[in-house]
Amino acid sequence: MTTTPVTRHAPPSDRTAWPLKPLYWLGLSLVLVLIWAACSGPLGLSWQMLQSPGNTGSWQVWWQLRVPRLALGLGVGMLLAGTGTAMQGLFRNPLADPTLLGMASGAGCAVALWIVLLDGTHSVLGLYGQFIAGFVGAFAVGLFVFSLGSARQGSAALFTLLLAGLAINTLAAAGGGLLAFLANDQQLRQLSLWGMGSLANALWPAVIGLWLAAPIALALLLRSRRDLDLLQLGDLTAHAAGLDIPRLRRRVILACALGVGVSVALAGIIGFIGLLIPHCLRLWLGPGHRLLMPASMLGGALLLLLADSLARSLATPAEIPVGLLTSLIGGPYFLWLLLRESPRC
Amino acid sequence: MLSLESASLEGTPQLAPLSDHIHPGQLLAIVGPNGAGKSTLLGLLSGFRQPDHGRVCLEGQELALWSVAALAARRALVAQQERPAFAWPLRDLVALGAHCSDDGIGRTLQELELDTLATRSVLSLSGGELQRVMIARALCQLKGPQPGPRYLLLDEPTSALDIGQQQNLMRLLRRQTRCSNLAVICVLHDLNLASRFADRVWLMDRGCRIDAGSPADVLRAERLAPIYRAELDDITWDDEGSSLLAIRR
Repeated sequence: MTTTPVTRHAPPSDRTAWPLKPLYWLGLSLVLVLIWAACSGPLGLSWQMLQSPGNTGSWQVWWQLRVPRLALGLGVGMLLAGTGTAMQGLFRNPLADPTLLGMASGAGCAVALWIVLLDGTHSVLGLYGQFIAGFVGAFAVGLFVFSLGSARQGSAALFTLLLAGLAINTLAAAGGGLLAFLANDQQLRQLSLWGMGSLANALWPAVIGLWLAAPIALALLLRSRRDLDLLQLGDLTAHAAGLDIPRLRRRVILACALGVGVSVALAGIIGFIGLLIPHCLRLWLGPGHRLLMPASMLGGALLLLLADSLARSLATPAEIPVGLLTSLIGGPYFLWLLLRESPRC
Repeated sequence: MLSLESASLEGTPQLAPLSDHIHPGQLLAIVGPNGAGKSTLLGLLSGFRQPDHGRVCLEGQELALWSVAALAARRALVAQQERPAFAWPLRDLVALGAHCSDDGIGRTLQELELDTLATRSVLSLSGGELQRVMIARALCQLKGPQPGPRYLLLDEPTSALDIGQQQNLMRLLRRQTRCSNLAVICVLHDLNLASRFADRVWLMDRGCRIDAGSPADVLRAERLAPIYRAELDDITWDDEGSSLLAIRR
């Protein structure tokens, strides 16, 4: 007997109009922040300055430094918040995040390994090698942590995940220390600048590389929205409701590894955006990923660009690494979250 | 028709080979002591687990060969309770995977006396309310326009319900089996509920189905006492010979 083809009937909420207003607001804010960030910084730029024929210096600053930096911030912010949202949905846990679970430090360790042992940063090939190293590191950690987390339920899963993340972060820190010990002066400088998490390495070839990978990761995450919603019912019920769970897991882990891998390879470890943004937006928009996922992507880019503009302006002419700033905001927020969640753990 | 053809599982949990058919229009209760393999059997019937030997078929075709979407339109499952991690509004959670209109969802919520709670967060619901929400969601999943019988699998659906809600739910399920081309297969611990509402009962023990038949045939004190290791009495209470089971003090 053959299977009767089934018309996929969209759930009722799919047929009603999307509550798009939040996305408009976030998009509009993002555009405004982009314009503001393009003009602010140690060297204030205006449209008139860029238009004046003799002022090629301003134009160069804008085109060679500001624009690629904004493009990098936009991509990394979207990827970090998008992957954070997906991880929280996949683990059904509001505390999951690529940094806490060790994915970012796994990618970081692999990139450091590439910089020091393979000395691969001197050519364009070296830059893409860095991307691949980041992807492999994040993917390996993602698979490991996920297999640990999915074998347990409820609070046991939460503790296992956090402990696994702690162990991986510690191991990666030790690995990073060892690599710093082995590195020469040039590599050491590169490692320490990159390791603090900064958008300062934004050069066009790197940014183009990021934007070749980012649409794939973002599209995979956006495609997973409905499936992530169904997964909230629990594995058994979600499967019976029509969800192909192994396919969803493969897709999300692949997208997260790609997103986190390229972000870390270029901008180092910028913590807490993946935790903070989905959490705040969930309070505003509810837990449905249909709206939460694109909103998180916009919100992540918004926060990172704001933080980067602050990082460039607060200690002029020096620059605070943006990863430091996001950790200063995100760390206390995470502690508050833990305190609030602890009775349920 | 949902059928088991010598389906069995090896290892832990184990399930001895089992062959039987479940027809629409039937309310089947699966009963047995803790660890008897009731939930495992439900996992097998839902297609979440594949049998190591034998086959589980829906309409003559093995469950593994159905696409997940096609299968979802024909059978739904309510697993033992797991509270969602995030604050879903009740109505949005019921709409997940639903194949019916907003009106259909509204009617189902009304039938399960949940309509007044529709905007509440599922995190603020009691265990019993959440259980009814998950059953409402499963019923909405089966309300698609595709033809053919439906199968609703429930794992201890009344474990957190008060007696009023137990009666309401079991009456609703029985009514649906009579008029909606639906079969309900539910794991029950309350033997008296099984006795009052089920058309058939499967009795499980240590991974084997040891008895199957009408409630009057299977749910007898002398039959159940050694399996549950409990001292039980039958209390016959009407002229038709209906009986209830009572635990001895």
